[in-house]
Amino acid sequence: MSAVIEIEGLRKTFNSVRHGRQVAVDGFDLTVGPGEVHGFLGPNGSGKTTTLRALLGLVRADGGRMSVLGAPSPTRLAQVAGRVGAIVESPQFFGNFTGYRTLRLLALAGGVPVSRVDEALEQVGLHDRGDERVKGYSLGMKQRLAVASALLKNPELLILDEPANGLDPAGIREMRDLTRSLADAGVTVLISSHILAEIQLICDHVTIISRGRRVASGRVDEVLAGFDRHEFLVRVAEPERAAELLRAGGLPVDVYSDHLVVGQVDDPTRISRLLGEQGLWVRELTSLRPDLESVFLELTGDGAHPEVPRQVDGSGPHHRVMEMDAGVGEVRGDNA
Amino acid sequence: MNLVRAELERLGARRFVQLMLVLLVLAFGVTASTTLAGSHQPTAAELTDARTQAAESRRQMDEVYQRCVAQVNGNLPPGSEQEDFPADCSEFDPVLQDRLPVATDFLPGVFVFSQQAEPLLYFLIAFLALFGFLVGASYVGADLNSGGVVNLLLWRPRRMTVLGTKLGTLMGAVLGLSLLASLVYLATFWVIGQSAGLPGQLDGAFWAGLGAVHARGLVLVLLTSVLGFALATLGRHTSAALGTVAAYAVVWELGARLVMEIVDTAHPDRFMLSSHVGAWLSGRLEFWDASACASASGFCERVYALTWQPALAVLLGLTALLAVAAFSVFRRRDLI
Repeated sequence: MSAVIEIEGLRKTFNSVRHGRQVAVDGFDLTVGPGEVHGFLGPNGSGKTTTLRALLGLVRADGGRMSVLGAPSPTRLAQVAGRVGAIVESPQFFGNFTGYRTLRLLALAGGVPVSRVDEALEQVGLHDRGDERVKGYSLGMKQRLAVASALLKNPELLILDEPANGLDPAGIREMRDLTRSLADAGVTVLISSHILAEIQLICDHVTIISRGRRVASGRVDEVLAGFDRHEFLVRVAEPERAAELLRAGGLPVDVYSDHLVVGQVDDPTRISRLLGEQGLWVRELTSLRPDLESVFLELTGDGAHPEVPRQVDGSGPHHRVMEMDAGVGEVRGDNA
Repeated sequence: MNLVRAELERLGARRFVQLMLVLLVLAFGVTASTTLAGSHQPTAAELTDARTQAAESRRQMDEVYQRCVAQVNGNLPPGSEQEDFPADCSEFDPVLQDRLPVATDFLPGVFVFSQQAEPLLYFLIAFLALFGFLVGASYVGADLNSGGVVNLLLWRPRRMTVLGTKLGTLMGAVLGLSLLASLVYLATFWVIGQSAGLPGQLDGAFWAGLGAVHARGLVLVLLTSVLGFALATLGRHTSAALGTVAAYAVVWELGARLVMEIVDTAHPDRFMLSSHVGAWLSGRLEFWDASACASASGFCERVYALTWQPALAVLLGLTALLAVAAFSVFRRRDLI
């Protein structure tokens, strides 16, 4: 089945008198398949919003190829705009318009039945506040209104840029449930966010961008698996002796004050067997699987080599880079 | 069509537009009520007296002309004093005057519609031109600044259509309002003339003259609306339009005029937009010509005139240039 979003080699440079030439996106690739809930991660200034704006025709790309629902963007974007709901960063609305009127005007402009306004407000939990002026809304309510505006069209593709901005924990949970229910209904969702735990909970696929380039992409579990060093945390009565025994057994061990971290463990029973045979009983044996945050920080947060341009596809000298071919579902790259 | 409806509703719902409408109604109310309070229907005695004064005034004009002709032809009656008449007596010829004194010129405290309609219409045109400029600038400026245009483009990713619809809606709304306002305005003062003053001489020439002023005024209102819209689009903000006008007024209309007078530039008024606005509205505007008559002998008129044709060309050219620039810039601009 063809991709819902395809971006190949997107490049965008901003020129300004004050800041000079700034490369925002540098040969970025992104593929989102139908029905995916795709997380789009990156640190501030990494090019997430520029990418989304370019995809939606708000920013002119300097190079590359993009398509949305099979239509080249931005040239044919208008043909599919009615099937795409999007919010980009935190949209601003006129303060003296009510939430209902704001959506009604958008519905009118987009040729959507006005009856959808109530439904969209209901979907984001704003139905009871729809007749209040937007200037009285909290940040979270404005964010919900923005999501409601994206939902008005009953979109096949939903693009949400930082949808959890300003939401309290309950609001974040509601947004998560809403996203999930939309995905269950067959809507493809692309979510840009820096709340990594949320992305891990919501998304089945993820793409990570850093300094304008893709540094990882694929199914969430496969991306995480690519960074799994098969490490286990071990608590034991005599850690120094236990470390010696494990090293003798061929396992790399790091010793900490109250625990050990043992790497390259394919079978955890091997640890308990090696130690048990020498009368050392394991008090705790915990798998240290990577989460999205640790992967994200490893890929984007080191900042240790600012002079070395980050490369994709494993060509960078210092960075662990991986990507997945979405069509095949196979991890192609690993540590460089 | 839906987009036009949405834009029309958005325009009408804006606080600034509503405030300007209230100000228009307020200014209209104050003008009408003070006119009504300061006018009365003349008594028969006042009318008789006014007719007498008008006849006397016409007789005096004719006398002056006859004396001038007699002096120039050397036919002064014996004993008559020489007066300071020019060689050409045509400026005293009652037949060549724009208008001759009539009874209504001698009715203080009586509102005469035929005499006051044109200056009242100029006041309305000035207000509507200001209204058009400010509303045009704020309508698109606030939308660009607040992200409203971005919201709209997510629904209708056709920049030229969106901006063109906005401009078309603005022009249509301003024209409709101007027509309605001038109709109500003139009708109200006509009623005041009928009921609490005098209608005056409302012949075909009067209505044709008033209609011409009205038509030229409406064109000016539309031009200022487009100017405000274009400047705010170029500067992405309402204040860009206001700042440009303020800067133009100070730097060019005041500063450059002063410099041109110091260096004795011939006919400096022709370089000023305000002169062209005046020439367009009145049909012909005369300016003092300091450089004239320096080497002339005999009668020399120290004035030069701007007529409506070149004035319209200047105003249309400038407005079209800025509008084209605004659309071109908006077409390529990164909306971030």
